[in-house]
Amino acid sequence: MSVTMNKITQQVLAKALIAAAALIAPCIGNAAQTDDGEHRIKHVFVITLENKNYDDTFSGVQDPYLNGTLKPMGAHLTRYYGTGHASLDNYIAMLSGQPSTLDTQSDCHIYADFRQTGITTDGIPIGNGCVYPATVKTLADQLKAAKLTWKGYMEDMGADPARESATCGHPALNSRDLTQSAQAPSAAVPTGDQYATRHNPFVYFHSIIDTPDCAANVVTLSKLEADLAAVATTPNFAFITPNLCNDGHDGDGTGATGATGKGCANKAPGGLASADVFLKTWVPKILASPAYKEDGLIVINFDESDAYSSAKETDQTGKTTIAITFKGETCCGQQAGPNVTRPLSEDFPVSAKLAYKMTVIGVGGDRVGAVLISPFIKPGTVSDTPYNHYSLLKSLEDIYGTGSYLGYANQHDLVSFGKDIFNNR
Amino acid sequence: MARKVGYLIVLCLFGLVRAAPAPQAQPAANGTALAQLGRRLFFDTSLSTSGKLACATCHAPRYAYGPSNGQPSQLGGPGLNLQGLRAVPYLRYVLSRTPRWSAPFHADPLESLTDTDSAPSGGFARDGRFDTLHEQARTPFLAANEMANPSVASIVAKIGKATYVNQFKRLFGSNILQKPQQAFARTLEALERFQLDDSSFHPYTSKFDRYLQGKGTLSAAEQRGLQLFTDPGKGNCAACHSATPGADGSPPLFTDFSFAALGVPRNSRLAANANPRFYDLGMCGPLRSDQAITSRYCGMFKTPTLRNVAARKIFMHNGVFTDLADVVRFYASRDSLAAAWYPRKADGSINRYNDLPQAFRGNVDVADAPFNRSAGAPPALSQVEVGDIVAFLHTLTDADINMCTPVRTHLQVSPVSGRSGFD
Repeated sequence: MSVTMNKITQQVLAKALIAAAALIAPCIGNAAQTDDGEHRIKHVFVITLENKNYDDTFSGVQDPYLNGTLKPMGAHLTRYYGTGHASLDNYIAMLSGQPSTLDTQSDCHIYADFRQTGITTDGIPIGNGCVYPATVKTLADQLKAAKLTWKGYMEDMGADPARESATCGHPALNSRDLTQSAQAPSAAVPTGDQYATRHNPFVYFHSIIDTPDCAANVVTLSKLEADLAAVATTPNFAFITPNLCNDGHDGDGTGATGATGKGCANKAPGGLASADVFLKTWVPKILASPAYKEDGLIVINFDESDAYSSAKETDQTGKTTIAITFKGETCCGQQAGPNVTRPLSEDFPVSAKLAYKMTVIGVGGDRVGAVLISPFIKPGTVSDTPYNHYSLLKSLEDIYGTGSYLGYANQHDLVSFGKDIFNNR
Repeated sequence: MARKVGYLIVLCLFGLVRAAPAPQAQPAANGTALAQLGRRLFFDTSLSTSGKLACATCHAPRYAYGPSNGQPSQLGGPGLNLQGLRAVPYLRYVLSRTPRWSAPFHADPLESLTDTDSAPSGGFARDGRFDTLHEQARTPFLAANEMANPSVASIVAKIGKATYVNQFKRLFGSNILQKPQQAFARTLEALERFQLDDSSFHPYTSKFDRYLQGKGTLSAAEQRGLQLFTDPGKGNCAACHSATPGADGSPPLFTDFSFAALGVPRNSRLAANANPRFYDLGMCGPLRSDQAITSRYCGMFKTPTLRNVAARKIFMHNGVFTDLADVVRFYASRDSLAAAWYPRKADGSINRYNDLPQAFRGNVDVADAPFNRSAGAPPALSQVEVGDIVAFLHTLTDADINMCTPVRTHLQVSPVSGRSGFD
């Protein structure tokens, strides 16, 4: 009898513990305590593309592979948002939860240290600059602490060794970033070099660049194929950045040539067309890898939208001003953070007769959408739940059970990817 | 332009090099037979109709493969009396690293404006119209005001009589001369190989290189000049003339190969400019045709390297300046002291940017320092600062460059108006 009672007591206790764990899990994340699809994921591959608004991506004709093949294979997140304009602040949000600074929202033409002047009550560093001090942690730091592995795969990094190093490629601290523009092929660099530091979030954190991890883990994309060969060599977290053409940043995707051509530095069409070719090249390799098959997740997202409205006005002197306005829409209660304000308005004089006036109304990066593919996601899943880059970071922290949320991933009531996505046990 | 130029005593006599001397022995870096043949071709005056013009005539090795004289443009043609349209550029340093011409497009206007990737860059020639060096090499052979050969066949026939013809046949086959188009294509490839591989094109022996290597020092004026050169609020020269060593420690090239419209004054010494309706619009023509309809490119020329710039005797794409200090003064005061640089119209107003048609004068860069000065504002640089930058630019001269610099008996005080406007 006593034995039975003990068993019952144990069962009650066990149920109580499971219930408690269920309550705690959303707060701290713990893969070991649950067995649903999300928490069985061990290998995540994030491929971040550039500057496309939701309608162009999911209603256009340049990306049949993404739209027609990949999207039906997994979950279509119809209300996924970027968190800033222009590029860099989005990448930093994904990796660290840090919001925009004046410099990161302008893509850090000078690779300057972040100068911290204070901290908010919710732990966000106050200041300006690009490269955060070692006290500001990233998902990579969390993974290392959890004895999990990570790598950044950067296409073209080191193609021109004079432009950037082949590992951990970034400018010297507090110097000009020479990778802001794509480099066309030359005799010395026959492939050209379209690596952009600002699309490589890892190198904006002293916690990474000041350690050997950066050279070991932030590598050129060509290393990925070998790493996919076995589970043991595939990092738990792989962040993949195509070059400026293949991520859609450059080029309009039409492939038009001549004076009216709007291609990339290497004359490829760019836009969604080149991004689609990139996905068609690399996603099948990932899908075929042992790590993905065992417990993988592929995230294909965009850093920000390029949707804008414009108006042209010519004054009495003949000077034309083109006003360009981004909505900067947000979701998910996104905060501006302590370092930037909105609306943002800036003048860009081009010549005596032409100037641009740029306005960004909100702090967000507008609606971009995303596609997630995993054995734990049923094909054809559609989620209309609003998510953004902070949600992605929080979701990854849940997946890896890091035990804490960084930056605005720790925002109260921020929703991470849930059963609306991970619906295939 | 009625410039008040002082008398010069020229200590060295510069002129068109009629018979290009053979270069000092500087074996091609990779020692390839192709590059060695290219050297022979590069220095062969017999490949021109005049019999007196080789590649090396205008691109003289002792002048960093640039012009040896002070002519705004060089003379060519059968009688060596036809003037080129533009100042001959240096070939040193930039050839292997010149990217193909490109003007990447991206849909996001925010990034177009905040990033620098919307500006065109690269390509060979001042208008970037050639993607590769062998494409470029074709033009001088056939241009009427250069080597003036009437046809490819005539060039190949001259190679058939050259002292290196057997070398040519050994490389490309004994029957190669019977196939003129192929023979000419191989000729261009050999020239390309020589220019890319021969160490004389990239010696890195300047004072600044020694300074970067920790083997030398800069004087106080040169140091100040370097600071002013790179200071975004002063000279801001390094914004285009990159002065930072590469990630692998490679020495800077002092160009980012980008294009800009600077509003350089018209040069009356160019014969083509006798026609008041003629304009050299750079990227949109007349020598380049594929961007002719891109009006925003009209007036843009490619940023040249500044290595060995102090050894030049003419400056800018049209050779309008003959004094390096004038060039720096122009940058510092183009709009703030416009009367010093441009002539006046009949109504007395300044004919600003007078080497461009009115329709394209809006393309001129007025946004970036030091060109962001309005009329009447102080120049971006003082006279002393101009001197410091010039002192720094002299540190970019290679050790083997002929620096027989003209010595002035009069200080040149005024570009146009007789007053410098500098303190």
